[in-house]
Order: sequence, then C-alpha cells, then structure tokens
Amino acid sequence: MTSITADSPATRPRKPQTWPRTLVVAGIVVALTVWAGIAVKADLGDLIRNGQNAAGTLIQLVQPDYSFIVETLPAVLETVQMAVIGTAISITIALPVSFLASRATNPNGVVFGIVRFIMNVVRSIPDLLYAAIFVTVVGTGALSGIMALVMFNLGIMVKLISEALDGLDRGGQEAALASGATWFKANKAAMLSEVAPSYISQTIYVLELNIRASAVIGLVGAGGLGMLIDKVRTFYQYHYLSTVILEILVLVIALELLSSYARKKLVR
Amino acid sequence: MTAQTRSADRLASGAGQPAGADADANVKRAHAGPARPRKPVRWLRAIVWIVSTIVVVAAFWSVDISWQALLDLPQKLTRYLGLMFLPPAWEAFPDALSATMLSVAMAWFGTMIGIIISFPLSLLAARGLMPAIVRWPVRGVFAVLRAVPEVVIAVLMLSVTGLTAFTGALAIALGSIGTLGKWGYESFESVDRGAIEAATAAGASRVQVMRWGVWPNAKPDVFAFWLYRFEISVRASAILGLIGAGGIGKMLVDNIQFRVWDVVGMLMIVVIVVTMIIDQISGLVRVRIISGRWELPIVSALRRRSAGRARREATAPGSTR
Repeated sequence: MTSITADSPATRPRKPQTWPRTLVVAGIVVALTVWAGIAVKADLGDLIRNGQNAAGTLIQLVQPDYSFIVETLPAVLETVQMAVIGTAISITIALPVSFLASRATNPNGVVFGIVRFIMNVVRSIPDLLYAAIFVTVVGTGALSGIMALVMFNLGIMVKLISEALDGLDRGGQEAALASGATWFKANKAAMLSEVAPSYISQTIYVLELNIRASAVIGLVGAGGLGMLIDKVRTFYQYHYLSTVILEILVLVIALELLSSYARKKLVR
Repeated sequence: MTAQTRSADRLASGAGQPAGADADANVKRAHAGPARPRKPVRWLRAIVWIVSTIVVVAAFWSVDISWQALLDLPQKLTRYLGLMFLPPAWEAFPDALSATMLSVAMAWFGTMIGIIISFPLSLLAARGLMPAIVRWPVRGVFAVLRAVPEVVIAVLMLSVTGLTAFTGALAIALGSIGTLGKWGYESFESVDRGAIEAATAAGASRVQVMRWGVWPNAKPDVFAFWLYRFEISVRASAILGLIGAGGIGKMLVDNIQFRVWDVVGMLMIVVIVVTMIIDQISGLVRVRIISGRWELPIVSALRRRSAGRARREATAPGSTR
C-alpha cells in the first residue's frame, strides 16, 4: 500500500515536452500565412467596398432564367460527349501504361523509371492548361477539349491503376512465371483479371471527374458548357450564368450518385 | 434420394478415375450437362456493357469534330513542343518564378482561410456532437460546394469583386471549404470509439469528449488533409490564373495568346518543377504527421537497399565473394 505512490517520479514517466516543437511549427505556419497575405494584397476593406457592387450581381444570380435551358442543350450534349470520349480513349491508353508503371508487373527498372517520370510530369500539368495549349495548337472546339481531358485522365488513371497493381496479391503471377510464362503472359493471365474491378471503378471515377472538368475547360475555348459560361460572363448575363451553373450542378450530382451506386454494386 | 447419391457416385467416378472398360462412357458423362455447372449468364452485366458501348459509340459518332485534324496533330505537336522547349526562354525565369510564388501564396492564403472557416463547420457536421437538425444542413452546404467546380466559383467571385490575386485566394478558400469540411467530419467520425467511451465514462461533457476523446485521434489525419488540400490548391491557383486571377496562370495565358512559345515553355517548366517540389515537401510532412517519422526519399531508399544487402549477405555468405 505505502510503496506504490502514483506520482512518485520513478513510477510515472515524465510528460514529454512538445511545446517548443509546436511553437516552431506554428511560427512557420504564421510566417507563411503573413507572407502569402502580403503577396496577394489581402484587404478586407476592399471586399466591403465591393459589397454594393456584389449585391446587385448576387440578386441577379439567385434568379436563374430557366428559359435559357433550351439554348444550352447543345453545349450540355457536347460536354457529355467530350467526357465520354475522353474517358474511353484515356482508359484504353492507361491500361498498358499502368502495367509499365507498376513495379509488380514491370521487371525492367529503366522502363519503369522512365514511364513513372513521364507520368509524374503529365500529372503535374493542370487540365485547364492542357486545354489552353491544345486550343492554340488545334483550334477551338471539342477536339482540343477531348485531348486535354485525355492527358489529364492519363495521369490520374495510370497513378491509380499502377498503385492498385502494386497492392495486388502476386501469387498467380508467380505461378505463371514459374511455369515458364513470359512477363507479358503472366501479367495478362494473372494480374489483369485481378485488377479489373479497381480498373472499372476508377473508370467510373474518371468519368465523374471528366464531367466536372469538361464543364470548365471550355473557359479557355475547348468547347462545351465552359464556352457558354465564358460567353454569358463577358456580357454580364448573370441570369443565364446561374442557369448554366445549376445545370453543371445537376449533371455533376447525377453522375456522382450514379457512380457511387455503380461502385457499390461493383464491390459486392 | 437414392437416385441423387447414385448420380453423385457416377459423377465422382467419372471425374476421378476414368479407367477400365467404361472409361469412354464416363468421359462422355463428365462432359454432359449435370457434371459441369452451367456458366451463369449475368444479365445485368451484359446490359451494362451493351449500354456503355452504345453510349461511347454514339458519342464518337455524333460529336462535332473534324477527325482530319487529328492526322496532322503529331506533326503540329512536335513543332510546337520544339518552339516551346528548344530552348525555353531562360531570361523569363525570374518573372516566371515570382509569378509562381504569387500563385503559391494564393493557394496558401486561400487554404488557410478555408481551414479557418471549415474547421468549426466540420465540428457542427460531426455525428455524436450535434443533433441531426444541425448536421444535415451543414453537410448539404459542403456537398454543394464540392459539386461546383472551383473554376466556376472563381468565375462567380471574379465577376463580383474583380480580378485580383486576393479574390483568387478567396475563391480557393470557398472551393476548399467543401472538401475540407467533408474530410474533417469524416475523420472525426472514424476515430477509435475506445477513447470516446473512456471519456464519457469518466463523466466528460460533449465538448470534453471532443477535446480529449476525438481530437487527439483525429488530429494527424486532419492535419494531413489540410496539407493535401494545399497541394490541390496549388494546382487550382495555377488554373485560376488562366481565367484572370493573376499569378502564373495569367502569365501563361497571356503568352499563349500572343504565341510567345519559348516563354510558355519556360513557364511550364517552372510550374511543373514548383508543383512537384511542393508535392514532395508536403508529402514528406504528411508522412511525418501520420507515421511520426521522417521518410526522406533518398535516405530511406539507401537505408532500405543497405538493409536488403545486409540480409542477403547474412543468408548467403558465400555469394558475395
């Protein structure tokens, strides 16, 4: 009874001191924020001064003009077309490339490294930038939009699929290799069927991303709803703008529901 | 009953040892209907395949594209890539760097505002802390903010407050509230129940349960999500520039419009390198937050390699000589 005292230094370890570290981290964060605030010239007064201006616009925005929907239908169709075609092309290209970009399926370190590096570069360019470049190279319209989507998807798909490949059970592949198959045959026989569910699930995910992306890449002239947004924005037709945005919302949410339903089905 | 067992017997003998006089008959039986289960016809799967094929074909067939343009694309692309990168305009490097830093500043500032706004909101949206009547409206707001693409938010903001880097940052903040909020309440809800139960058993109030039962467990995830969101914001801020919010995107779109391709090449190099560096640093810090250890890429790769070599030497001492 007397020997055990809870707060004697021998029985209770000292609480580690974390406050110096916390202080340093907080200092860095605050410094970065102050620097960023100065760089972007953050000014709350500016916002308040612009408030009156904003109020008028907002009133227009909350009164969407539904009669405009008829005019937007071709653009909606083009957006969906771009998303579907972009998805179809990119998943076709992404499948073989991701087999090259996974250490589990590609024994060749040099090819693996090169593919990985290229894919990192491809992934780090944002979709709107691809769109801007393709618009100047091939002209405005759906083609440049589709190409931008393909490049954008390729980076995402290859990353996701090659990571899925890395995480697979490699028993079947090992058996195939041991029985004398080439790497290509072993991957085709053992890994392809294993990765198929996540491949399909990522395809749905990419289609969802594409609907979202194809609605905006038009802002730089790559076709679809984005082009419409750009048009009504330059003419300050905020009634129309909010209609278009509502349409994008409906599209995105519908596809999100569809994709979450499909993926749930897929898991079972 | 007896018929079934007999047929099962025959089946076993047919599949197992098709030897002797009636081997032929057995083999025939093994190939006949009952021996092999019928391959199931998956109607739903077939329908989904057919429908998606039709959709893709229809999209290809109906889209308004001159596929001719695709033929001379490789040639065009190589020409433009040559103009961009052979060589890039090195004299534009300082400008490119400062414009990129402005974009990064936009991303950081926007993410910070987003964090400050979304953190209390995500507390309001967490199950077990607030009644459903508070929870669902907040979750609805998050869902709507997530569904609107960032660029569209920015377009709205820019038309309201004008084209500055500050509005770009505000657009990023607004866009990040949706994802940050969702990740926040999800990580609050997915913490281990043990600590919560312990805190409740010790008589803690709701706030105290949150502080001592939930927050210590959720903290690493939440911090890591914040950093991850910053990485996304860096990309988003480059995009926002493309529609006029300043920073690297604006410089890019100006140079693309005036077809100053060598500067475009330089800018792209800077954007790619800076994003990659930021991703690396942020990834390192995230790993440190989650696992509590620094995982420096080169150091840990070398350590792994030397550990592997040591293991090989230990298992096969003769092979090294």
